[in-house]
Amino acid sequence: MSTTTRQACPECDGRLRSMGAETVCDECGLVVSEDELDRGPEWRSFADDETNPERCGAPLTRSRHDRGLSTEIGRSTRLKGRKRRQIARMRRQHNRARISSKRERNQVYGFTEIRRLTGQLELPEHVRDRSCVLFESAQDSDLLQGRCIEGFAAAAVYAVCRTASVSRTLGEIVAVASADEDELKVAYGALNRELDLRTGPIDPSEYLARFASNLDLPTDVERTARRLAREAHESGHAAGRNPSGVAAACLYTAARDVGHELTQREASDVAGVSTVTVRNTYKHLQR
Amino acid sequence: MNRQDRRAISREYFSRERLAEHHFRSFNNFLDRGMQRVVEEKESIDTDIGDKEGQEPVRVDLSNVRVVTPRVREADGSEELLYPQEARLRNITYSAPVFMEMSIVRGGEEEEEHVVDQAETKVGRMPIMVGSNKCNIADFSDEELIEIGEDPADPGGYFIVNGSERVLMTSEDLAPNKILAEYDTKYGDEIQIAKTFSQRRGYRALVLCERNRSGILEVSFPSVSGSINFVTLVRALGLESDEEIVHRVSEDPEIVKFMLENLEAAEVGSTAEAIETLGQRVAAGQGKNYQLKRANYVIDRYLLPHLHEEGVEDEETRTNKAVYLCRMAEACFELALERRESDDKDHYANKRLKVSGDLMKDLFRTALNKLARDVKYQLERANMRNRQLAVSTVVRSDVLTERLEHPIATGNWVGGRSGVSQLVDRTDYMGVLSHLRRLRSPLSRSQPHFEARDLHATQWGRICPSETPEGPNCGLVKNFAQSMELSQNVDDERELKRELASMGVEGIPGIETVETHTADD
Repeated sequence: MSTTTRQACPECDGRLRSMGAETVCDECGLVVSEDELDRGPEWRSFADDETNPERCGAPLTRSRHDRGLSTEIGRSTRLKGRKRRQIARMRRQHNRARISSKRERNQVYGFTEIRRLTGQLELPEHVRDRSCVLFESAQDSDLLQGRCIEGFAAAAVYAVCRTASVSRTLGEIVAVASADEDELKVAYGALNRELDLRTGPIDPSEYLARFASNLDLPTDVERTARRLAREAHESGHAAGRNPSGVAAACLYTAARDVGHELTQREASDVAGVSTVTVRNTYKHLQR
Repeated sequence: MNRQDRRAISREYFSRERLAEHHFRSFNNFLDRGMQRVVEEKESIDTDIGDKEGQEPVRVDLSNVRVVTPRVREADGSEELLYPQEARLRNITYSAPVFMEMSIVRGGEEEEEHVVDQAETKVGRMPIMVGSNKCNIADFSDEELIEIGEDPADPGGYFIVNGSERVLMTSEDLAPNKILAEYDTKYGDEIQIAKTFSQRRGYRALVLCERNRSGILEVSFPSVSGSINFVTLVRALGLESDEEIVHRVSEDPEIVKFMLENLEAAEVGSTAEAIETLGQRVAAGQGKNYQLKRANYVIDRYLLPHLHEEGVEDEETRTNKAVYLCRMAEACFELALERRESDDKDHYANKRLKVSGDLMKDLFRTALNKLARDVKYQLERANMRNRQLAVSTVVRSDVLTERLEHPIATGNWVGGRSGVSQLVDRTDYMGVLSHLRRLRSPLSRSQPHFEARDLHATQWGRICPSETPEGPNCGLVKNFAQSMELSQNVDDERELKRELASMGVEGIPGIETVETHTADD
């Protein structure tokens, strides 16, 4: 990075060139000025250079109750005896002081549960962060009273998945959640009613990719199923039907069209619906 | 051998793609046996549930661990195989899910032990070395490799974490579990020291045996501050009579003379007395019973841990420890009498290389411990809130994943070492090859260490005599010689010991018990 400037060298009238923080004469090598502001590009690169002027510290995260701003007292092997025990006591007090109220304690518990769920379901990070935000707003509007934290954690993940168009079925969430289905439904009902989630009906095609990979179906089956799902949606055949049932039926129909072996039982198992649902929806799609 | 033949051999050798072979062998060994062994060491996770009145204790038993091949889970939930090139381009980690069988066991106090829940669950993701057995491109032909956008000439042997290729530096350590005798000076006098880095399951303890200026032997080991009289320690280990001790050290009349000096200066006369004295050292100012308990615990736990073996009585191990200490004493005396020269630390027989598999084993061990602590916490929490205890709800898989990926991504390894993983040098093809076959000495580069930097005669055929960087790292960073082969640790030491026993070696602990065991089966 070097630029030539208009000014001439005071010694030999040669051309000046600024390189980084110095201005040097091209001809005689005289350093005309130094330690000026370096206007070169930053040494580190930030993803949000344009919008965020913050340049220090670890990134903030909504998925921790203190936004990841806390400090931890580390361990060292060099400390011995009395000093070591003192540091251990300080560490314990420090950890206790991180959580100041019952509310925060619940939040920490809820957030750990959300982290665990999103980790187990291998959901992307933004889903995790938004679930935590949703959980927090549920706490803010006093929805947790009389309902259980685990249920709200699971419901927050379920709701965020729906709004982010990466829907999971209730069954899939319950399988890994420590809440049971009733608790999840109660919590989700509260979230939906009070917080105005704006979740529309689930598009069956959101399920297709996952079901297809669970069933080890080739891509052409999935593609055909996707077309069928779109057609069903446009013609209104899918309206009022269980979206996972529709997804299963689409896959079943597509597999039959393409000539891939797939039983109704397999398709219904992976979608968590009964074979009857698949059969009925299939017949409906045929028309 | 003439030049033609040598050339033919070289060509044959390098046509077999053996350039990163040491990485593959080590990592495959870790995947096949090492991981399972670490899990078996851990065995089970105990919880504090049951400490309270009227509660049954709960623990989690760990058994089979299984790694599949690398795959990626998309946001829509579909899962597919991941190939290295895709990982590089999408800046994701080339890692495979790890599954473990876990069972929650309740009872043992009043009720009978029963399994509450048992399941195989995903515990995390393990970064997979490109080209290893679990790699998706392991046995692809050149055409298939080109088909999926992979370079057929790429040697593999590195990991891909967050899209960047990281190679684990082979590190050159002093051989553990070996007696090294050397001179040292203390307060201006020359003394003799026998050292052993005793290592077992990631725990490393330095045991020193030194002969001070008045000719008295002293031993120091972790958890005891300062040093302990040799005779006291040996007596505490069960070698009681003077004659036995002298006999175990050496038959040499001059060494016997030295030994008698030691025995004259002995503080204690019997095993019980010795343990008492030791107790006063390790738990000063405590009750007498506690002192004895603590002394026995320290002997069985912290002294020469490498002599421990699964299924061997502490009693037998103690005899072995005593004999081992006598060997160390002998080494000191021989050095004092100039019967032997001090051991050469730079001799390659006294070096061991830690390759990627060994490093990953260390990492996996600490990651598993972290996971265990988390499982314990989750279980206690779930129990406190009167929840059903289930395997699927107590494991947080990101704990293990995080602990495995972070050190590889940053190079900050467990045990405080840094720079263990490095970005693969892609300046050119030769750069990659050289980087994969590089090894590093843990010695500080800011100190001179002239001897360590010198070319040692025993490096012949193992280490390249000319390839080393200039400047502060000169001689500390080395490269393998062209057709070097790295041998691996003996997997089953029992086999070896049984063989030795059949050849007439006496006093190997556990061999007799092992044989009766096999007879029963």
